[in-house]
Amino acid sequence: MIEVVIITSIKTLMVDPTRCTGCRTCEMACSLYHEGKCSPVLSRMRIIKYEALGKSYPSVCAQCSKPKCSSACPSGAIKPGETTGILTVDDSLCTGCRTCLVACSQIGFHPQKKVAFKCDLCGGEPQCARFCTSGAITFSGVDEFLMARRRAVANKALQAVQV
Amino acid sequence: MVDGLVNGLVNGWTGKRLRVDLSSGKTSVEEIDEEYRKKWLGGRGFNSELLYREVGPDVEPLGPDNRLIFGVGPLTGTFAPSSGRTTVTARSPLGGGFGDSNMGGHWGPELKFAGYDQLVVQGKAPKPVYLWIDDDRVEIRDAMPIWGRNVPEADAMIKDELGSEEIHIALIGPAGEHIVRYACIMNDVYRAAARSGMGAVMGSKNLKAVAVRGTNPVDIARPQEFYRISAEIRDRLRQDLMAQMLNDQGTWLLTMPANYEQGWFCWHNFQKGYHPDAKKLSGEAHRDNFLSHREGCFACSISCGRFSKIKEGKYKGEITGGPEYETLTAIGPRIGLLDMDKVVHNNKLVNELGLDSCSCGGAIAWAMECWQRGLLTAEETGGLVLDWGDQELITKLIEMIAKREGFGDLLAEGSYRAAEILGRGHDYSISVKGHDMSQDDPRGLGFAFGIGFATGRRGGDHLQGLPCLELTGPFYPGLVEKILGTKEAEDRLSPVKKPEMERYQEDLKAVGDSLTQCTFTHSWSFAVQPEDMALLLSAATGLEFTAEDLMRIGARIVHLERAYWNRLLVGRLEDRSPKRFVEEPMPDGPNKGTVFPESVLIPRYYEVRGWDKETGFPSAEILKDLGLEKIAAELEPYRADYRKKVEKASNTA
Repeated sequence: MIEVVIITSIKTLMVDPTRCTGCRTCEMACSLYHEGKCSPVLSRMRIIKYEALGKSYPSVCAQCSKPKCSSACPSGAIKPGETTGILTVDDSLCTGCRTCLVACSQIGFHPQKKVAFKCDLCGGEPQCARFCTSGAITFSGVDEFLMARRRAVANKALQAVQV
Repeated sequence: MVDGLVNGLVNGWTGKRLRVDLSSGKTSVEEIDEEYRKKWLGGRGFNSELLYREVGPDVEPLGPDNRLIFGVGPLTGTFAPSSGRTTVTARSPLGGGFGDSNMGGHWGPELKFAGYDQLVVQGKAPKPVYLWIDDDRVEIRDAMPIWGRNVPEADAMIKDELGSEEIHIALIGPAGEHIVRYACIMNDVYRAAARSGMGAVMGSKNLKAVAVRGTNPVDIARPQEFYRISAEIRDRLRQDLMAQMLNDQGTWLLTMPANYEQGWFCWHNFQKGYHPDAKKLSGEAHRDNFLSHREGCFACSISCGRFSKIKEGKYKGEITGGPEYETLTAIGPRIGLLDMDKVVHNNKLVNELGLDSCSCGGAIAWAMECWQRGLLTAEETGGLVLDWGDQELITKLIEMIAKREGFGDLLAEGSYRAAEILGRGHDYSISVKGHDMSQDDPRGLGFAFGIGFATGRRGGDHLQGLPCLELTGPFYPGLVEKILGTKEAEDRLSPVKKPEMERYQEDLKAVGDSLTQCTFTHSWSFAVQPEDMALLLSAATGLEFTAEDLMRIGARIVHLERAYWNRLLVGRLEDRSPKRFVEEPMPDGPNKGTVFPESVLIPRYYEVRGWDKETGFPSAEILKDLGLEKIAAELEPYRADYRKKVEKASNTA
């Protein structure tokens, strides 16, 4: 357990769809962690599956720096946390108008509470990334993620040269 | 984490059974009460019980009264590791008796999210239809436009018609429509409920597909505890060598040890257990040259599933889900092929046509061996020359079988029936109770496996118990000794404690198939132990279960399935390995000279089980002890009839 304040612009969820096995463990972790129930519909993030092609795509909230969900919200219910920068929905302010759903595809709508919900990065230890064994979803710094990919390309290139 | 909102009265399960009568077009929802849930768990347990109760000895496998049952369990569609499996059950048109098949993918969890533990289909639709289950809305829809389409085409057409990609579909291909006796049911395009002809039963009902969309949650009684236990097991699986190897190479990893170390690589219909070039089909070769993607069934981090791409040669550019080890050997070495591109292509063919690869390979291998031995003429094959490994012939035969064309019509009956019809070649049908063997040879794989092959609930198949204690067990120091009291049982080809091992694994597998949790988590990888399953189940349902409770339920399910066969007057006389395993010593390879000691091990297995040595029926005491009093009483007249059958057989002998 890392006990540091997470600033989302430094560290966030990164997705590598080429590694996703489509198992949807992440959806179950998310739903059970946040809602105490197992349901893809209650998960903050979802896997888009292309069964005939064997491909899957993790669809997660990017914690944008200029968030459309937040600017679309007429009641000011979606705001970045003061210390963490994590965008969350304030249930007490949300009127259930669903404008945010139109503004961004990463917002969910709670079927019982009738309010919007979204990824809150589990307060700093995202469970989807914690249980993703394939490495498709990682919680990392943007530069770290990019450099890992660049390094993979570099490894291949060097191998090719050395042969 | 917050504790659940207001949880439902039923946790884990949904407590509901959906029944669809295709003859009348009526659908109904039935309650599954707590007593029943505690007695039969779910999935395979629910299905086997319903089959026993509703499909008696007079019901024809391909008649309207047979039931096609889809079952999921209390852990299906939850965070529990590898819990997305589904059992499909019916009286089998291949073996004629008990039939079931277990599939991965994401269809079962979707059925659970739609609100059901079980779907029972009965009757026969007057014309081709498909089912559309959208939460509590159930429709029987016209399937004429998709009838005749192969699996990926039909899957795409249904999604198009229903206007959504977020649907999971279980369906049959042309093989099921033509009632090939070993047609399979596919879901999510490339995941199969392959064995024992469940697709033929579906076809006989004029049912092309079952499309499901569910939006309800699975309620968990103690969410925090359930989360913690699941997380612990997930972390353990992540560190587990066997699970890591499955992820890395899939079940392809078996090729190298099966051939070079253990000598059970199925070559030319089990005529040999070794081939010097088997490495052409190694797990590494597949991973490095053919693997396009690893695939995970629902909530499974092991992700042993493969997605293959052929990068060069005649089949360049083809993509397909799979294959896994049984398929690659069935339509590979069993029929004389060692080229990976051909094997991957054939896998695509059988999947898209909706055939069980094992029985399909078994039927083709039977014909090829008959041809090799001069038992088939060109006149009988319609002019086909059945040489081993002739890829052009093989692809043609697969198509002919799926559509029952020409010689394919005979092979569509399965190797056992084909030999009966032809009146020749019985010894080359490598099957048990009419059900073709998977590509596993007890003369090398192991003797506990051999017991399962001879006595299996659906006939010859490795998934009776999947007794990996004798295969991967030795990788877990002290495990075999802890369970069986001696380290000696780790030796695959030692008879020591093998009946006990098989019993333990059969009971455990019945539990896993009922919860549902993939067998690879608790037998192959042994990261999940019965105690873990009990903890998961207790936290999910809020009812208390111990490991002992679960193993007892497992035994109950195994005995009920045994009674299903016994009621059809099948017992000891039919618990027979293919002759080849018992009479032909392994001709070469690491186990040269080995035979399976059936005459020693089967009677000992009966003894360990508490089954009657003369009939192979469970004793009335055992049945009563497992809470099957009614079945014990019902079985008595059948026991008497079977005794007469045994007497008659010994007189003839």
